[in-house]
Amino acid sequence: MSKFNVGDRVTIRDLPPLFHTRTQGYTRGRTGVVVALRPEWVIPEDEAWGRYEGRREPFYMVRFNQRDLWPDYGGVAIDTLETEFSERWLEPAANASPAAGNG
Amino acid sequence: MNTSQDHGHDHSHAAIEERDEAIEFTVLETAIRELSIAKGLFSAEDHRRFMEWYDQVGHTGGARVVARAWVDPAFKQRLLADGVAACKELGIDWLQPTGVGTPSDYTYLIVCENTPQIHNVIVCTLCSCYPRPLLGMSPAWYERSNYRRRVVRWPRQVLAEFGTIIPGDVEVRVHDSNQKTRYMVLPMRPAGTEGWSEERLMSIITRDTMIGVALPDIDWTTSSTPSGTGQPA
Repeated sequence: MSKFNVGDRVTIRDLPPLFHTRTQGYTRGRTGVVVALRPEWVIPEDEAWGRYEGRREPFYMVRFNQRDLWPDYGGVAIDTLETEFSERWLEPAANASPAAGNG
Repeated sequence: MNTSQDHGHDHSHAAIEERDEAIEFTVLETAIRELSIAKGLFSAEDHRRFMEWYDQVGHTGGARVVARAWVDPAFKQRLLADGVAACKELGIDWLQPTGVGTPSDYTYLIVCENTPQIHNVIVCTLCSCYPRPLLGMSPAWYERSNYRRRVVRWPRQVLAEFGTIIPGDVEVRVHDSNQKTRYMVLPMRPAGTEGWSEERLMSIITRDTMIGVALPDIDWTTSSTPSGTGQPA
């Protein structure tokens, strides 16, 4: 059962970067929008150690406005980036955060 | 372009040098391969044959998929809905040759359709994840940290360095393959190709157009020779 739905604004958690996470530094603390629900599979934190029967979680495709990733982004406002996260890395975006207006 | 002025400091640090990030994995691969051969899991010749096969996969599968999508709208819809299943229709089986795929690597394929509003480009900032059953081995620049770290940060500038200028009213969408999904770009069919056969269409669907760093050009085919170019038109 997925905790987030398509259209939800989510913030990438800034967890300690110990070992293997596959969650890029440039996404930590950034806010984007869930654009697709992905299947459950073993999280990288377990798979990296050969624990193929390890913890399974839903994954999500998240779309970021480039200006939300890089405050001094030099391209145009409509540019975006998409990448995937397991559920543990996402939290609901704070309502106070500026609207990204993701299209 | 990326000048010292727009990345915000005056270069008091030492030059950032390219590191050979593959070296640990090369050692690991060699150790596991030699142990596997010693244990009799496969032979040195099995390994050589696999690598020979692997090195010649190339981008032709991807070009077949794109050409079919250009001429067959129903196939295009199936391709966008389930890339792995649609590839299998054309005899490209993402699970082969092992029969199970590689669980830690490619498992899902998402085909990213370029439109008049969106231009897609793919990267793997973590390593070099790439749609190998369709495009073969990735080019050297795709694996280098220079491309990986810059295309997510300055995509329009990096595309311009490849000679690809994307208008400001077209969204540039970067796909960072950080998990199990692999991506391939479905470029737009260029004008002037009306009535072309799939085989002829394939000739202009080069590797770079499916990574998203180039656009198909009716005057540039996979058998064109770069010598003699470079003269301003």
